[in-house]
Amino acid sequence: MKIEPEVKKQITRNVILSLFIYLLPIVLMFLTFLITGDRPWEKKVHKTENVKSTNNKTNLNNGSND
Amino acid sequence: MEATIEFIKKIVDNLNGFGFPFLVFFIGILEFSFGLYKRKWPKNERYVDIACFVLPRLVVQPAVAYFSVTLLPHIFPAFKNVFSWVPFIWGFAIIAVADDLTQYWYHRLHHQVPWLWRFHRTHHSASYMGMAMASRQNVIYTIFFSQIYLTAALVYLGLGIPAIAVRVIKSTITTLAHSSIPWDKPFYKYKVLHPIAWVLERLISTPATHHAHHAATTDDGVGYYKGNFGNMFFLWDIIFGTALISRQYPKAYGISHYEGDQWYAQLLWPIFKSKVEGSELAPNGPMVRIDLDKEEQHLNGNNSGNLKHDAAVLQPSYSNN
Repeated sequence: MKIEPEVKKQITRNVILSLFIYLLPIVLMFLTFLITGDRPWEKKVHKTENVKSTNNKTNLNNGSND
Repeated sequence: MEATIEFIKKIVDNLNGFGFPFLVFFIGILEFSFGLYKRKWPKNERYVDIACFVLPRLVVQPAVAYFSVTLLPHIFPAFKNVFSWVPFIWGFAIIAVADDLTQYWYHRLHHQVPWLWRFHRTHHSASYMGMAMASRQNVIYTIFFSQIYLTAALVYLGLGIPAIAVRVIKSTITTLAHSSIPWDKPFYKYKVLHPIAWVLERLISTPATHHAHHAATTDDGVGYYKGNFGNMFFLWDIIFGTALISRQYPKAYGISHYEGDQWYAQLLWPIFKSKVEGSELAPNGPMVRIDLDKEEQHLNGNNSGNLKHDAAVLQPSYSNN
């Protein structure tokens, strides 16, 4: 048993439309960032830098972060 | 705003922990207490429902956990949490679309591609509706539930919290859409609620629209097993023209030619085959068997054009015996 040609055509049309729908929230998100000037991916890098402990000669805690 | 999102995240996390199992348990008690299965839960069907509910939790979920915890870091070590910067709201939107639209297609293709129908037949064979229907699936259908892997991949990429939020909301909507409790009825009954009903029935799956998909008949104004494929969102059916909204509930559910295939055949076909002669799950059974009433029409020489069409768009029907 095979798929009806009309059903096949409808599936193809709908699959193409689906690809746009998949992309829609991602496109909208970046559009929002563009409008607001927000760049959350940079904040993530910044946070990582902040959690590094410091241990050098000028540190008064003598290497301890307590 | 951030505090509100944090609060929502905490609620979602708690719901995922104990809320959903509690919801399923609570609806289950309600369905049985009010006799909503209408004393139509034969032993064979009970075995199918229970096995389908338990097996995915013993096999599929550990497999997906293995896939996401072991395999992904091995294949894509540099991609772990690479998208953890995505704000919760956007993560939620991306996953909701990715997960549910993929499931829409997975479901639709099992109805429209004849070769795939038998992997989904178990979900439609019961002559009743209930929350147990949500997980009543052939094990192959469950294993290849593509959107589970997609979600696992998104979690690995750093979208874990929004993924859990989508999971909680989606499980609740799909369980309630399959349930025999018609929670949407008041929205159709009271005029003041009609605007909410209009939005609701187009946005998410409701018992009325999803029960129509499980109906024994189609094209009678109520039953519509040729469409209403949406799981969490009904919107996909609206967009792709596969929707039927009637605000009514079918009189009979299931497959017209169903004669109680053994529970193990329904769970594990094609590994185990049905002993019911002429069944789609039998060793020499047809790929798709047409509805009984259409078979009769065909034998009487009527309506042959429709017959061809119905056989291609597939499947069930059921006489409510």
